[in-house]
Amino acid sequence: MTDPFLLQARAIRKSFGGVEVLHGVDLDATGGSVLALLGENGAGKSTLVRILAGDHAPDSGEIVIDGEAHKALDPIAARALGVRMIFQELSDAPALTVAENISLGRWPGGRGLVRWKAVRERAVRALDELGVDIDPDAPVSTLRIGERQAVEIARAISDRARCLILDEPTAALSAQEVERLFAAVRRLRDRGTALIYITHRLDEVVEIADRVQVLRDGSVVLERDVAGTTRGELVSAMVGHAVGDVARPSDGGAAVADEPILAFSGAGSDGAFADVDLEVRPGEVVALYGKLGSGTAEVAETAFGLRQLDDGACTLKGEPHAPGSPERAIAAGVGLVPADRQREGTFMVRSVAENISVPSWKRLARHGILRRGNEARAYRRWHDELSIRSRNDPEQLISTLSGGNQQKVVLGRWLERESDVLVLIEPTRGVDVGARMEIYRVIRKLAADGMGVLVATSDYEEVVQLADRAAVMARGRIVGELGGDEITTERLTELAGG
Amino acid sequence: MSDPDVISTGAPGATAADAASAGAAPTAKRRRQVPEIAALLVVLIALGVFFSITSEFFLNYDNFVNILTAAAVTGIIAAPATMLLIAGQFDLSVGSAAAFCGAVLASLALHNDIYFSVLIAVLAGLGIGMVNGFFVTVVGINALITTLGTLAVFRGLTQVVTDGQTMAIDRFGGLGTSRPLFDIPLPVYIFVGIAVAFWFLSRYTVFGRSMYAIGANPVAARLNGIRSGRTIFVGFLLSGLCVAIGGLILASQLGAASPQAASGMELSVVTAVILGGASLAGGRGAIAGTMVGLLIIGTLNNGLVLLNVSSFWQTVAQGALLIFAVSFDQLRIRLTSN
Repeated sequence: MTDPFLLQARAIRKSFGGVEVLHGVDLDATGGSVLALLGENGAGKSTLVRILAGDHAPDSGEIVIDGEAHKALDPIAARALGVRMIFQELSDAPALTVAENISLGRWPGGRGLVRWKAVRERAVRALDELGVDIDPDAPVSTLRIGERQAVEIARAISDRARCLILDEPTAALSAQEVERLFAAVRRLRDRGTALIYITHRLDEVVEIADRVQVLRDGSVVLERDVAGTTRGELVSAMVGHAVGDVARPSDGGAAVADEPILAFSGAGSDGAFADVDLEVRPGEVVALYGKLGSGTAEVAETAFGLRQLDDGACTLKGEPHAPGSPERAIAAGVGLVPADRQREGTFMVRSVAENISVPSWKRLARHGILRRGNEARAYRRWHDELSIRSRNDPEQLISTLSGGNQQKVVLGRWLERESDVLVLIEPTRGVDVGARMEIYRVIRKLAADGMGVLVATSDYEEVVQLADRAAVMARGRIVGELGGDEITTERLTELAGG
Repeated sequence: MSDPDVISTGAPGATAADAASAGAAPTAKRRRQVPEIAALLVVLIALGVFFSITSEFFLNYDNFVNILTAAAVTGIIAAPATMLLIAGQFDLSVGSAAAFCGAVLASLALHNDIYFSVLIAVLAGLGIGMVNGFFVTVVGINALITTLGTLAVFRGLTQVVTDGQTMAIDRFGGLGTSRPLFDIPLPVYIFVGIAVAFWFLSRYTVFGRSMYAIGANPVAARLNGIRSGRTIFVGFLLSGLCVAIGGLILASQLGAASPQAASGMELSVVTAVILGGASLAGGRGAIAGTMVGLLIIGTLNNGLVLLNVSSFWQTVAQGALLIFAVSFDQLRIRLTSN
């Protein structure tokens, strides 16, 4: 019997743009064992495993595989050494069959010809090893997301992967699919593969991992066997001292009306969420907190007409609210700040004035004719009010603004539109810390002016800093509600993790 | 929240040097718009100077009127085409559709009142616009493919209607050949009127501005309450209307409906629009730019004729011009998206 495979990272340091994100991190992955890598967004998990998979070169430190030290790996070298990573964003070819995907880029045969029989045999063998029942001749596009993930794993093992890195593999899976994935992971572990499992779900750590390593702000803060480690220890390791630094909004308890402006009761949408009871009153900021895939974004989308309710009801100002399209939702008084500013929020090749006035065009126009002076005035007004940092030229292209200031323009849109309810999804994703505080200030101001604000977010610090009340979601259901000073990072993480 | 029925556009981001059409403060507008139009005007003037030197027939009033007359029909059709490309859409069926409208007119005019025939021909153009708009916005087929299909369909139907023969039209010369003012033919005035109308439409109406928003980011347009499908549908309708006008003018100029009328028109139209600064990625472009692009093509064709270059080489030159214009657009997209 040979020694088990061993991958060791030693004193890895890495900076991006002058900011060090890994401060001398060690990591040991052993064959026949599952290592859970735990940490919040921005803790450095992804950077670390990308270095192991050869996507990034470390600034210093070394990677030791089979006793041989490497200063850095490139993706081809990492593959040759048996290190493979399964990304959250699948990198398969949907139009090809399962078998073709498994042999993609490594066609058996010679002289430029492909031996199709060998392609199929290889696929059957890999799928069998993984213990999954997938038709090798089916086009990948016909598979469910969990099956597609299994095909990617099969591709890795048929390429003799000895260390498999899974980056938050359950984020998009149903409960059953998660079970199947765990079964496959155990099988691979028992066959001697080293697995690195990235997650921020505590229950998964307990269920699947043998060892756990917690990263916080680019350093390892905990590394031990899972057996005998409590959830509390993991939570406090993840959250760390940062807790005290997150301040609650100081203007809490603003004038809040009694009647909710937006309300869900027993609301459910197939495959996304169920039994959601939620009320937003004018003048308050309500956070809907949950990990990615927990259903928070989907609830928010329902209020904006992007998704239909299958059960229960949604009301706006006491009237039934089932807009069916964004256009009707906007007309009813709802605005949306989407998660992906670049793809969904802004018109990058257009001016700031246009970007801020788009949903208000009908009001700014007379008989369909737009008065450009009105547009420019609208921009100038919000430019000052929201302290948007720009040249104060309505014709400036929005792409020349920083991310935070672009987001202020997107927020300003709904002020100009005089919306009654604002729904935000991950409003500060990709926004730097300084600008984040300003955006929170703007959102608080919107509420203070009488808007009802619903924020769907997976960032608990955002909830603490922003919300008057918070509902916590997990796997499509509300699992707890917190108000006022109950909203702490510990309580939020605890509720959402379970 | 991705939207499967909208085509995602390419590279976002642009520089201050782009021809942003929006303009509230006139100074800001001029600062940004001058460079691109100026570059086109320099090309146009350079061509003019070149042909003035190489041909003794180029530099005179009658020849300029010739250039404008030759460009008029293409221009009438290029105006709505510019708006469509701004929204990220194409209409390749314009040439066939123009010929079809002419054929409808000719075949009806044999036994009917001319005004009735004109009315039906215009309705035929609108009908073609509706067909294109329906398949693009309701069925959800890519505009390039839809209109490539209708290009073939309506060229074929034109031949069916005319039985492959040129059909004479009596007493319909006025539209294409009368010269109401300054010895300039009526089509040139119609062309200028339509260009001005579309210039206004694209810059100062909710409809026109929605086209820019849809082209700049179809997902964001939907999330801001713009009814993309309806807007694009109207764009195709306008294209159908202008195509009918163009087809009638061609038939009037010729005194007949030819089954080969306006063949290859889509090439001239797309070249003019892209040369004029509209981006294949959508969201950018201006009617004024298209008009200058059109004059460049017209001047080039006219000059080559005066220099006795064969029409075969003119086709080569026009194709090369299109590729040049698209390469320039790609370069700009790459430069501005970092």
